[in-house]
Amino acid sequence: MLTFLFKRTLYALISLLVITLIVFSLSHLSGNPLDALLPDDATPQQIEQVTRHLGLDRPIWVQYLTFLQNAAMGDFGDSLKWKGQTAAEVVWERLPATLQLGGLALLISIVVALPLGVMAAVYKNTALDAVATVIALLGQSLPAFWLGLVLMWIFAVMLGWFPTSGYGGLSHMILPAVAMAWFQVAALTRLTRSAMLEVLDAEYIKLARVKGVRERRVVWKHAFRNAAIVPVTYFGVLAGSLLTGSVVIETVFNWPGTGWLAITAIQGRDFPVVQTVVLFFAVLFLLANLIVDILYALIDPRIRNT
Amino acid sequence: MKLTRIAGVSLAVLLGTTVLTSAQTITVAMSPPSVETNRYWNTPGDFNLGPAMQGLVGHDPVTGMYDNSGLAESWSHNDDFTEWTFTLHEGAEFHFGYGPVTAADVVHSHTLHTGEDSTLIGVAQLKDVAVEALDERTVKFTLPRPQIDFLFAHGGRGSLVIYSKAQYDAEGLEGYDTRPAGTGEFQFVARNIGQGLTFERVENHWSGRDAEVERLVLRFIGEPATALATLLSREADMAVLPRELQPDAINAGFEAIGSSNAANQTAMLFNGTFLTEGDDKLDPTLPWLDIRIREAINRAIDREAVIDVLYDGRASILPVFGMDPRHEGYREDLAEMFEEYYGYDPERAMALMAEAGYPQDFENPVIPILSSNLAGNPEFPTMAELMQVFLDEVGFQTEIVELDWAGLGALRRAREARLFHPMRNMPVKPSAVGIGNYYASSGRPNVNYEDPVIEELNTLYAASTDPQEREELAGRIFQQAFEQYAVAPLASLSAEIMVNPETVAGWTFPGVTSAGISHFNLIEPQ
Repeated sequence: MLTFLFKRTLYALISLLVITLIVFSLSHLSGNPLDALLPDDATPQQIEQVTRHLGLDRPIWVQYLTFLQNAAMGDFGDSLKWKGQTAAEVVWERLPATLQLGGLALLISIVVALPLGVMAAVYKNTALDAVATVIALLGQSLPAFWLGLVLMWIFAVMLGWFPTSGYGGLSHMILPAVAMAWFQVAALTRLTRSAMLEVLDAEYIKLARVKGVRERRVVWKHAFRNAAIVPVTYFGVLAGSLLTGSVVIETVFNWPGTGWLAITAIQGRDFPVVQTVVLFFAVLFLLANLIVDILYALIDPRIRNT
Repeated sequence: MKLTRIAGVSLAVLLGTTVLTSAQTITVAMSPPSVETNRYWNTPGDFNLGPAMQGLVGHDPVTGMYDNSGLAESWSHNDDFTEWTFTLHEGAEFHFGYGPVTAADVVHSHTLHTGEDSTLIGVAQLKDVAVEALDERTVKFTLPRPQIDFLFAHGGRGSLVIYSKAQYDAEGLEGYDTRPAGTGEFQFVARNIGQGLTFERVENHWSGRDAEVERLVLRFIGEPATALATLLSREADMAVLPRELQPDAINAGFEAIGSSNAANQTAMLFNGTFLTEGDDKLDPTLPWLDIRIREAINRAIDREAVIDVLYDGRASILPVFGMDPRHEGYREDLAEMFEEYYGYDPERAMALMAEAGYPQDFENPVIPILSSNLAGNPEFPTMAELMQVFLDEVGFQTEIVELDWAGLGALRRAREARLFHPMRNMPVKPSAVGIGNYYASSGRPNVNYEDPVIEELNTLYAASTDPQEREELAGRIFQQAFEQYAVAPLASLSAEIMVNPETVAGWTFPGVTSAGISHFNLIEPQ
């Protein structure tokens, strides 16, 4: 198990190093921050002065090595857009908003998708199964921004039940969380349903029924426990997606989380923040996948022994 | 419906919604600034601290003319406009007990705004300027060259906002980041990143003009549909909306309030038209180097349709980009001749193209039309599509080039923006600034058109300090730009904001800032 853990952690670190290179290269390929920072009528002197001030006159590899060295110490530089703050501070400040929204969306996804997937499998080809299929179909085919705007229009503008947008308490979170969760509910429902269908057809389930075990116990204890490995595998992607924030939903609902931050920093060509937020996303995804790998190995001994 | 609302309100109360606000709080939904900071000199000119902070010079809310509603009570200049002396209002004071505004604050603010990290628009007007405090209330600016338009650097879209030296000495820049002491009719309460700014009224303001609104919230919303929803749900009392969404608000009972003067001019630029001999940045294959092609493009554009589609009919046709009745060199005769020179005439356009040998005699006949988004001008992508429709109709070969505004900025700085692209002049700047930005090499690297005639005239214009001579020279520059079809001027329009008439009775603002809105102290609540 220790060897397994060591190997997985090493792979994650190598991935992280590669990601730093990609992030740094892509962010610099997308253009010069001066283009976003300086006004249209900037003079050559002003351009030269700000270039020097930001250290953009140094060779690109020197900038990368400096970035890597500083990043290893937790220093990602100063934000170009949010003056007076370091990039790490900017990301750190946005994190609670994303964790709140992502956490609620994750909760909604699990609470809705798992029972729905299980029930759809148990009541296969019934009205309940059809409803679950429609929910899954809509969730995977409706664009998130469209769904967000429709929810906003119905529940905030027409009914006045929730605020339209902005950062605030639970009432501010419900619409964006539902919009974010719907896609994941769809994916998770379908995965759970197909995993359950496979398990419900297994010999040991038939045996349990023949032995007279109550149906509820058959479904939730014997079948669901064995089918759960499939949705658990998906949790890495699910948690990663929700906790790194949805760029689209956070923008539509003006929710100042890391997703909103990413798009705002990209638009403003705030390289230090873009690099920090993308690396943060990468670390979260790597961590989520590492945890899933460990869970997987714990659940299935064949994996940790290979 | 009533029951559902009651149910909803109960639910909202249970969930902790706090939308119930005082009647004296006015919330304005607007686009977020490009840089969110309290340090004005670190922005490209997005002055979202306008309600709390001031420059030396103010503007009349109706005419937009400079007046002494800023921090300076009066000003004077020497004969050649190289020395400007400002006398500060007696009794002008900073918020939060930071004391009276003195000449030392002006000197300190100038140092901040012209430092190495300054990214301010128009800061060139303040560079290499010596600022001297003559006494507590008098400050003198000594300029390296004459600047007739020096007040522009201190007005609504100015490049110098006065910060408290006393606060800086006590708290450093962090003090400004946390709670900047301004001098306006509102004082700073809070900045919430990505959400907006909150201000509160200063009671017994030193100017004697207390704001009518107790609390002002500027709510930043990037997505226009969300801003509209915020207004329709009454979470915001006012919203700056793109024109295509304004009819939705008007149909729902909201009203549009416009600036009292034109706040913006729009045009399509023939960038790369560098006609001065020996310019190594000239691409000789650009189709619009031929004046007949520039005229044909102008003739192909139905400006009334453009105004209907893009501005819902609430704009007027612009005769010369950069020219305005409020500034030097305005030529009424050019406005009168507009129809004759630029009137919509597809047949004339096709005749000109045939005469020029288009497309067969052109190495590169394609007109690349830029489609780009610029905050505050959401109509630009539609404008590009409209241009393509008009140009295709008369037989031009076109292509849409998609590029973000920052990307265009990079090309312009390299003088390689060989595109037919949208541009705005907001607020409408003094003629000297407009001419430098669009028609003369003095505005390099960003200028889009240069020719030897304008170069000669502009050299004389820049050196002249005689008002009559300047008026004539600026007029001749605009005439040359007009006759040469240097750009495709489109529209002159006011800044508009949609308001809820149940909470806002009126607001007068002159349209002199980059955002268009200002004079928040004049918002009249119901």
